[in-house]
Formats: sequence, C-alpha cells, structure tokens
Amino acid sequence: MSAAVLASRVLLGVGVAIICGSALGALAFRHSQNRLHYITPMTTIGAPMVGLALAIENSWGETTAQILLTVFLLAVTGPVLESATGRLIAQREGWIPRRSPR
Amino acid sequence: MNAWLLAAAVLIGAGLLPAGVIGSRGDAVARLVGLELAAVVATVVLMLLSQAAGQSSYLIVPMVLVVLSFAGTLVFTRLLAAPPPGEPARREQDPQ
Repeated sequence: MSAAVLASRVLLGVGVAIICGSALGALAFRHSQNRLHYITPMTTIGAPMVGLALAIENSWGETTAQILLTVFLLAVTGPVLESATGRLIAQREGWIPRRSPR
Repeated sequence: MNAWLLAAAVLIGAGLLPAGVIGSRGDAVARLVGLELAAVVATVVLMLLSQAAGQSSYLIVPMVLVVLSFAGTLVFTRLLAAPPPGEPARREQDPQ
C-alpha cells in the first residue's frame, strides 16, 4: 500500500468517523439549539476530509476539481445555515426580539 | 466491497439514520435540523457512491444537492419564523 493510498484511507476513516459521531451526538441531545452545533463539524471537518481522501485517490483532474468544489460549498454554506437556524430558534424561544432584521 | 462502498454503508447506517430520526420527531424546527444533517450526510454518501461506481459524471448530483439544500433550508427558516407582535400570522393574510 503506497503512502498516498494510506493517507487517503486514513482521511476517509477519520472523516466518516467525524460525520457519524456528529450525527449520533446530535441524536443524544433533546433541544434543537444543542443539536445545531453538530452541523458545522460535519461540514467543515468531516466532509472536507472525505473530499481530500477522494482527491488523493483521483489525483489532479476534473473529478478532483468537482469534488473539492462540492466540499468547499458544503464548508461555506454549513455555518450560514447553522446561524440562520439558530436565529430562527432564538426568535421562536423569545431569546431575541421577533422584530430583529429578517 | 471496496473502501468507498464500505464508508458509504457506514454513513448511511450511523449518519443518515440518526439524521432521519431527528428529522421525523419533534416540532418543525427540530425536524428542520434533522433535514440539514441529512442533507450533509447524503452529499458525502453520494460522492462516495460515485467513487465506488467509478462514474465521475455522477458527481453533479451531490454538487447540485449542496446548492439546493442551502436555498431550501433558508426558505424554511424564513417560512418558519414567527410573525412579530402586532402582525397577523401569514395564514391569516392569505385571501380565502
């Protein structure tokens, strides 16, 4: 097994473990505000690691570019969605005024 | 079964299933959080399945899913927002 394949498999394993751990961690909590915190590790750590593993496996090319673009979009949009949903929860729970900009 | 297929199977069992459970219980916001989790896991699963099948053309599906789930979730956060005090609920504004 070459170093590149080994690195790819390690990144894949760690990435999958982070995603599964985040999903199971979210399940362990009751309130949506707590569950929400598990989205960002999935999108900014887990998914990019899996994407990197796929990129190492495919080497440079169009396939790798598409994979990296997908995980980049996931990493950028994940925190935005988390903050938007967090704001929604805060409004509904009365933690922030409902007249805050929307 | 190669490593990519095995990783996809693990993600479906230990990632997509918990997200589905979260997305099928509680109020609308709780289910929305489940939907967000499921979209992320589904994106990664689709990338892994594309690699396992050796079809790079399938990669367009997870890429489109990321963009659509982003827009869709933002629409849900907008629609689920409660109206400010003094304003009627959206349902009351609709002409009958």
